[in-house]
Amino acid sequence: MNWNFQLGIHPDADQLSVFVEGAATSREHERMLAHLAECAECRKAVFFMQPQEEMQAVAREPVKGWIWGRLLPVGLPAAALACGLVAVMVHIWNRDSALRNPQQVASLRKSEVHLPPTTVAPSTDSETVQRFGTARGAAPASNLSGHANLSLPKSLNMPESSGQAAAKVAAPETTAAGLSANAPVGRAGGSAGGAIGGISPELSLNGRNFAKLQQIPAPSSAQDAASQNDLAKKKDLGGLMIEQASGQDKALAGVSGRITDRTGAAISGASVSVRDAIGNTRQTTTSADGSFNLTGLPAGRYELTATAIGFKTTEQSIELNPSQLAMMEPVLDVGTVSGTVEVASAAAQLQTESANVGQVSTGQVVAEIPGVGRDVGVPSGLPVTATVSHGKRFISLDNAGNLFLSRNGAKKWKKINAQWAGKAVRIELTPAYSSEAPAKPKNETLGKASEAAVFLLTTDSGTVWTSKDGAHWRQQ
Amino acid sequence: MDIPPANINQTEPSGAEDCTASVAKGAAVEMELGPESRLLPEMLGEELWQAAGAELVELSKAEFAEALETIGAKDNFGLDPGKQANERQRETFWRALHLEELAIARGCALGRESAWRRFLAQYREQLTGAAVEMTGSVTLGEELASALYSELFGLTEREGKRWSPLLRYSGRGSLMGWLRAILAQRRVNQYRKIGRETELGEIEPAARVSEQIELKQLEDLRAAIKMTLSAASAEERFVLSAYYLDQHTLHEISRVLRVHEATVSRKLKRATEHLRKELLRTLRERGLSRRAAEEALGIDPRDVDINLRRLLQESEGGPNSNKADLDKGDLHKERQE
Repeated sequence: MNWNFQLGIHPDADQLSVFVEGAATSREHERMLAHLAECAECRKAVFFMQPQEEMQAVAREPVKGWIWGRLLPVGLPAAALACGLVAVMVHIWNRDSALRNPQQVASLRKSEVHLPPTTVAPSTDSETVQRFGTARGAAPASNLSGHANLSLPKSLNMPESSGQAAAKVAAPETTAAGLSANAPVGRAGGSAGGAIGGISPELSLNGRNFAKLQQIPAPSSAQDAASQNDLAKKKDLGGLMIEQASGQDKALAGVSGRITDRTGAAISGASVSVRDAIGNTRQTTTSADGSFNLTGLPAGRYELTATAIGFKTTEQSIELNPSQLAMMEPVLDVGTVSGTVEVASAAAQLQTESANVGQVSTGQVVAEIPGVGRDVGVPSGLPVTATVSHGKRFISLDNAGNLFLSRNGAKKWKKINAQWAGKAVRIELTPAYSSEAPAKPKNETLGKASEAAVFLLTTDSGTVWTSKDGAHWRQQ
Repeated sequence: MDIPPANINQTEPSGAEDCTASVAKGAAVEMELGPESRLLPEMLGEELWQAAGAELVELSKAEFAEALETIGAKDNFGLDPGKQANERQRETFWRALHLEELAIARGCALGRESAWRRFLAQYREQLTGAAVEMTGSVTLGEELASALYSELFGLTEREGKRWSPLLRYSGRGSLMGWLRAILAQRRVNQYRKIGRETELGEIEPAARVSEQIELKQLEDLRAAIKMTLSAASAEERFVLSAYYLDQHTLHEISRVLRVHEATVSRKLKRATEHLRKELLRTLRERGLSRRAAEEALGIDPRDVDINLRRLLQESEGGPNSNKADLDKGDLHKERQE
């Protein structure tokens, strides 16, 4: 093949691709450029050959829209049906959990369970839909408020497995149903149904629940909706008539919220646990948006502990009132050291008939302590081996030895050009700043040169560099 | 770009014809090579054949060796023409090829079913994706890709023989890169069929330049630009054309040249300044006063960009330009060796 492109002779696809991929020799490269400078069409072809990121997005959009368009007729009714089911499930789960709380005084005797005549009816589709409608009406909070868990109290003393089931249910099923709330469906419904079928003799209900039950002798689980037979069977158990609970009614409480770092960024995968006075513990992890939800807790005082890798553990005391969903927004500080915040609270005051959502406490501000090891995303995409921060300045070191600086609290990163020879292996704060008290005066032993230095860098050749602002470095 | 409509409809056939002719010629060259003049040592040939997984695409050792020989001869083993490659250089050249992809392409060109299966599995989606990306439309992209498929399948019979452009893939670049290139060429052809009318608009700014600058001056400028450009390096000319004529961004140009955007910016600035200075000098040499020359180019530095673009467009479309020659030829007309 000749790379001497004379007039009217154009490079072929092979030559173009060799050029574009940088596989051409320097002479070929030169010849191609000379041709391209003259030939508008080959130039056009060469630019066409470049992958175009923006074009990709444009091109793929219609495909997506088309698929959704096709699924819409099926999806909408399915979502609506799922919504209805969710409402029913939540309601029943609510009752079930309340019933299973051993602290509640009331008891239920098997002999007293009977079916109200109104509940036994032929099950038709329209009826089911009607019931769903009723259920939705009866439990609007679960469907609309986004805090379905509010009406889903669950005992702290519940078996571990149920607790986990409840924690897991929210995400996948909710997405399927197209709900944005944390409404539990599916598995919760399943276990709720099972509970009613199997454990109902031990259950107790209060007057309110009883009233609701009579209102909705509805199906008991999501799976049941699929099969008419099942539906009919479960219905037998749906309309339980329950002895009026005697004594004080102890509604359950919960705590939910969002865990963020100092910059307001959500921390996902953080572990959140609450511990009551006796030492019973319930634990969950935060979702991708940093939110967590612990419900079904008996009212009382708890210690809430939030831990995340690379952050200091935060502990807070919270007081949960009955039927109350407390909102907590702990802010975690970067660092490995744990700090404890003790918040004293008053003795538990039981409130029997209120179902208010109350703001109990917001996250306690912990003194900003710079630390190491926060997992941040740096532009190189490589794993970060260490991150240090001072004020809003963050410096991250990835495992290839690249150093990145962020001046705005780890939001935007900029690569720091290496002024040192070799690879940076360690980044830390100078001793004056790495101690726990940020306001501590500068360490006198550090000498004048590094007096103001904040960041300390060690390269693989052993040289130590310091910097005050992270951008300008000086060898020690 | 203004393109004479004359050859528009002949684009594809003439391109294919040229390719066929050239390949037929290539085959003739191979025939002349006797077994004793083979450059590929048998040991190396076998090793490369295995490395390429040629057996999986039903390609015999002889067929693969032949492909390697042809490619080596065609590109003179990556050396400048006239130089004789020694054994080591040849081996390096062959080893650097995308052997596996070459085997697939050859297998496909020879109509081997297993090669096609592999080709479709590996490239079908990517190819359609690239076509959609290039055309910016799913319909157009799929159309472009399927047209290319039928071509690759060798549905165009020439002289009673099936012929696939895949025969021309050398393995020096990646097969996907080659597919992108051929798609881009087809796209350019499509583009000039579709975009011919809209491109007429581009003549307008040039007309305005003509109003601003007197005809004689314009002629001078054209000649001056041509002269200055011929002295510039190929890369500078490429950057100037891509930036001023095609109005690509610095970022796009930097991707083609595989350098940083800042480098392109610097190059462009240098080239522009150089061009301007040279033009001023030329104009003054031709008897224009400094003032008149500066006016012709635009005194305000901000105008220089615009004026340069117009001038370059002018010179591109001018009588001295080689554009007309280019348009007589076809984009896919390749040099016959």
